[in-house]
Parts: sequence; C-alpha cells; structure tokens
Amino acid sequence: MKLLVEVSEKDNLYLDKSDGIILPLEGYAVESTCFFTLEEVCDIVSQSKNLVFVKLNKNFMNEDIEGLKNVLVKLNELKVDGVFFYDLAVLQLKKELGLDINLVWNQTHMVNNYKTCDYYYSKGVKYALLGKEITLEEITEIIKKSKITPMVEVVSRPSVAFSKRKLVTNYNHDIGKKKGNTLQVIEKVTGGKYDLYENNDGTSFFLDTITNGTSIIKDLYDCGCEFIIMREYGLEDYFEELIIDTKEYILNGCLEKDYVDKYKKIGDSTNFFFRKTIYVVKKK
Amino acid sequence: MKKIELLAPAGDLERLKVTLLYGADSVFIGGQKYGLRANADNFSLEEIKEGCSFAHKLGKKVHLTLNIVFHNEDMDGVYDYIRDVVDCGIDAFIVSDPFIISYIKKNYPQVEVHLSTQNSTSNYEAIHFFEEEGVDRIVLARELNKKQISEIIEKVSCDIEVFIHGAMCTCFSGRCALSNYVTNRDANRGGCAQVCRFSFTNEGEKDFTMALKDLNMASYIGDLIDIGVRSLKVEGRMRSLYYLATVIGTYREIIDSYYNNTFSEEKLKEWDYRLSRVANRETSTHYFMKEADYTDQYYTGRSEVSNQDYLGQVISYEDGYLKIYERNYFKVGDSVELFTPNGDRCVFEVTKLLDEDKNVVDVARHPDNIYYVKVDVDFPVVEYSMLMINN
Repeated sequence: MKLLVEVSEKDNLYLDKSDGIILPLEGYAVESTCFFTLEEVCDIVSQSKNLVFVKLNKNFMNEDIEGLKNVLVKLNELKVDGVFFYDLAVLQLKKELGLDINLVWNQTHMVNNYKTCDYYYSKGVKYALLGKEITLEEITEIIKKSKITPMVEVVSRPSVAFSKRKLVTNYNHDIGKKKGNTLQVIEKVTGGKYDLYENNDGTSFFLDTITNGTSIIKDLYDCGCEFIIMREYGLEDYFEELIIDTKEYILNGCLEKDYVDKYKKIGDSTNFFFRKTIYVVKKK
Repeated sequence: MKKIELLAPAGDLERLKVTLLYGADSVFIGGQKYGLRANADNFSLEEIKEGCSFAHKLGKKVHLTLNIVFHNEDMDGVYDYIRDVVDCGIDAFIVSDPFIISYIKKNYPQVEVHLSTQNSTSNYEAIHFFEEEGVDRIVLARELNKKQISEIIEKVSCDIEVFIHGAMCTCFSGRCALSNYVTNRDANRGGCAQVCRFSFTNEGEKDFTMALKDLNMASYIGDLIDIGVRSLKVEGRMRSLYYLATVIGTYREIIDSYYNNTFSEEKLKEWDYRLSRVANRETSTHYFMKEADYTDQYYTGRSEVSNQDYLGQVISYEDGYLKIYERNYFKVGDSVELFTPNGDRCVFEVTKLLDEDKNVVDVARHPDNIYYVKVDVDFPVVEYSMLMINN
C-alpha cells in the first residue's frame, strides 16, 4: 500500500517521505488550497523519484478545452503517474489525442460503487479516488470486487462542496467588508464549521473538522487497497510526523497499535467510515 | 424546424395531468426508487403506467428520473426496476451514472437516455464522450451562458436541454455533499436538505444564507429557440398544482407566441407578472447573460412569501356555477380571475357563493371544502381550471 500526499504549502513537498505527491494544477484544479503551475510540475517531476500525480478536477467550460489539450499533452510527455479528473472531457481528450496517460476517476461525491468503477476501468481509467461519503464496508467491497485500482482519502479536512460562484466575494460585498478569499461559516443548528476558499474558478467548501481515518488503514491494507491519501490542509502541525509514521506503519504490516493511539490527537471524527447516510423514499 | 419541447415537472399523477393539460409537451417524474426527490410523493409502477397512458393519448411523453449516485447496495434490483418501468411505457430515462446509461442502451435501445444535470456537463468534449455512449440528450449544467450553450449546440449532435425556471443549487449539481455532512441526509441519493438555504453565522457578524434566487428565463425563450436548444425544463416536482398550471401555461403561451410571431414586449410584461404572482422568491437569469454575482443570491433577513392568490381548483362548470375545491379564503364582492388549461381567462366579481350543500354563503373560508361560484363565461371551462384573486 502506497501513501500519496497533497500539501498545503509549496515549501515542503515531503518528496522523500511519502510514496508520491498530488499536485493540483493552477487554473485546472479546484477543491484544494495550494496550486502548482505547469512549470512547477515539470520541476517536481524532474526531481522526484517517487510518484507524481496531477489534479485536473475542475468542471471545464468550452473555453478551457484548448488549454486542457495542451496540458494533457504536456503531462503525457512528462510521464506523470496519473491525472485526477472530474470532467469527462479529460477522458474524452485522452482518447481523441491518443495519450498514454493514467487517469484517476475523481468525481468527488460520485465514486461510490464497484460497477461504475468497472465501467470506467473498461474505458481505460486505471484508478478511482473513492467518495468520502461511503462507509468502510462499502469501500472494502469496492476494493474487493472492482477491477479498477481504488484510492482512499484517509486523513484530511474533506472538501464537501464546490460552487462556480464567488461566494466569499459576494458575502463581503453584502456586509461591506474588506476583500478576502476565505471565510469560516458556522451552521447554526448543528454548530458545524466550514471553511470557504475562493479563487478565480469558484468557491470550495471544506469541513473544519479533520477526518481521522488512521484507524481504518489496517482494514484497507488487509483487503488489498493499493493507495491511501492524506491531505495537509488543516494538519500542518502534525503532517510531516504523520506521514513518516504512516509510512513506517504500512511497512510493518499495520500491526503497531501505538500508531492509531498516537494519532487520536488529530481528532476522533471518522465521518462516514462507520456511519451510513440516510435518504427517504416514501412507500405507498 | 422542430418545435422546442416544454418539459414540466410532475410529483404525482395529478400534477402530471395538470402540466400536460396546461401545455407541457413532456413531463419528468420520479419513481419510488432511484430518483433525487425522495420526499416527493413519487409514482408507483401502476401510476407510471397510467401517467404514460394519459400522456401518450395526448401525443406527449414521460421522462423518468433514475439519477441518484448509486452505492453498491443500490445496484440490487435496479435491472428489474428498469425493466418494469420500460414495460410501463416511459419514453426516456434521466440518468447520471454512466454504468446505468450503458446498461439501458444495451438492453433497451428503444428508450431514450438523457444525461442528468447532476453531471453538471459544461463543455462539448464531455458531451462527445456521452454521445459515443449513445446518450440522446444532455441536460446542461446551470452554470452556462448563452454563448457557451450556443457553441455546444454547434459542436454536438445530440439534443440539448436547459433549465428555464425554478429553484437553483448554489453549488454545481452533484458536487455538493453539504446535506450529508450537516444533516446526514444523502444529497446525491434524493435526501438533499437544501443546506445552502440554512442559516449560517460568521462569528461576530450577522446571520446569513447562501441561498439563490430562482431562475426565470421568460425574457430569453426566443434566444434559446434561436440557438437550437431542444428542450426547456421547468424545475419543481414538489410545487403546487396552481404553481404548475400558471408557470407551464405561461411558458406555453410564450413559446407559441414566438413561433407564430405574436410575441411582444407588452405581452411579456403580462407573462412576467403572472409568473411573479406564483413566485415565493425573487428571480434572476443567473449565468445566461452575465457572470453570476451577489445580485443572484440572498444573504440576510429574507422569509419566503406564502402565496394566497390561489382560491380554488375547478372540478366542473354546470348551470352557470363553477364547482371548486377551495384553497384560500375569498368572499362575495371579491374580484377573481378564472383561467383554463386551454389558455382562456376572464375576470369577474363574485356575486353569489354556495357551500357544498348549496346553501347561500358570503364567505368561502374552509380550505379543501367544495363551493359553487356563480359566473357566466363564453368559453369551455374544464376540470383543472383555476380560480385566483384578481389583484
């Protein structure tokens, strides 16, 4: 099992500490807080001995398509290890341009069953980043039954929504406050906190609470999960130590109980790993 | 030129009939499984069959939503369900999951597949992907402007459907799990709690929401016809009969006026006024003519208006009396307006009112009771005509 990381600052990429890095490409990625230019991606690919994935998970408009083609061709030349995508234009362009690039199906809240994973596999998609709103039981079923190679985000402040609208700018305009691109909002009934991060492409919503899936890594390891992901945003104080320990934990077969105990300090929220979402269908 | 389709929502069999009678060319409905409005009444298989039969007799079509984001467990039984609803006679599925799309196209090629707006499809390359999968129609993302829609239509061969009226999501459809995190209700499996309309706070500042104004494209129907849009969709499967009758009837008139060259700015003012009478929120065209901005949202201090204009639904018209189900209080002396599915309208003063037992009364004060309203009209008044206050 390999550990991929997504960093929140460019100062430390942890290239020698994780198995690979995910680089959100500026202008082509959303639901992240730290973006890289194509030149920076080139530099990192040239200096990294580990895996480099690039995230292109925006909903693309017509006017983005020519630029997207150029980026995909360049990433193909660079032989990056994979490209995360949300918009099906990426999959279509891979086919149209005859690219040899590996793709990661990354439709944030939609990667929820093994049959659709297999559908994408049949279309040439190698990996799938599983949705964060499904249970561990569902995750392991997908890992066991699907031909695709699943990835699981185990530690992060999850991205929970994305809008094309400039919600922070609009809010600031409404209250006559100074400009800014971040805003913390609190849902009044539950007290749940969400961080809004806005850039030219829109507004991302992040849960303010860390999802701590360190306790499920062993289950994932045991069922043959090949990739787990940790994101640094909101975890800056612990991140380097966390990825070093996680790497060692995996190398030792996920047997050290101390690891899970140690990282209880990053929070006790396991979100939907052990809790099913509900929906109501009226029966007649 | 093929006439553009007016596609209406229908949360139950009665709404299906009303929207078709008021001029919709097709309706979209949800069954009791796999749709994104789990709290709507939704249709049993028997009702789907009856709805399809009703629509087909009028030469109209029924689209069925099958657009949840499937979990492993949801796949159990889906093939049987698809077979059953095909047997009921539906004309098209509205689907978001490409695996389900491929299954339907392989096994039921006679039924159209429309890609749900849940996929937020926003460019021609993504559409090329789905065209190659056999998708017949794309329901576009609601974040596109006129130029983008037009360019897509020029570059693709499948039908394009756009939303023209109703509530809007703050985030890209399908790209929002706020409901899951705030209420544990699965947004992408029909449980969306509309968290963007909830009240939020920002420590030290006043409370606010991120709710959007509704979409209203009445002024741009001609533009949408001109650029080659195939279908115009009205949102709102859970809306009232009165709302649906008014909105669908109004858009029917707008579309027809464009094709028969009778459209005028004066008429548009009247249509806008009608639409505003049933609205409980302000409206906007959102992205169509500009980048969406702060004017398209609500932030603070807004309560939804409960509409009291709707007085009753006509059951029959005999011997100079309208027999109605009362919905809101009215009285002798009130000026009221009657409108019918055929587009006929008249304003009159209530001069005589009878209760269910045909006793003379001055006031109709009990919703759901039957009343008789005296009126002489010179056009056919059929079931599902509506009575409203004349402001």
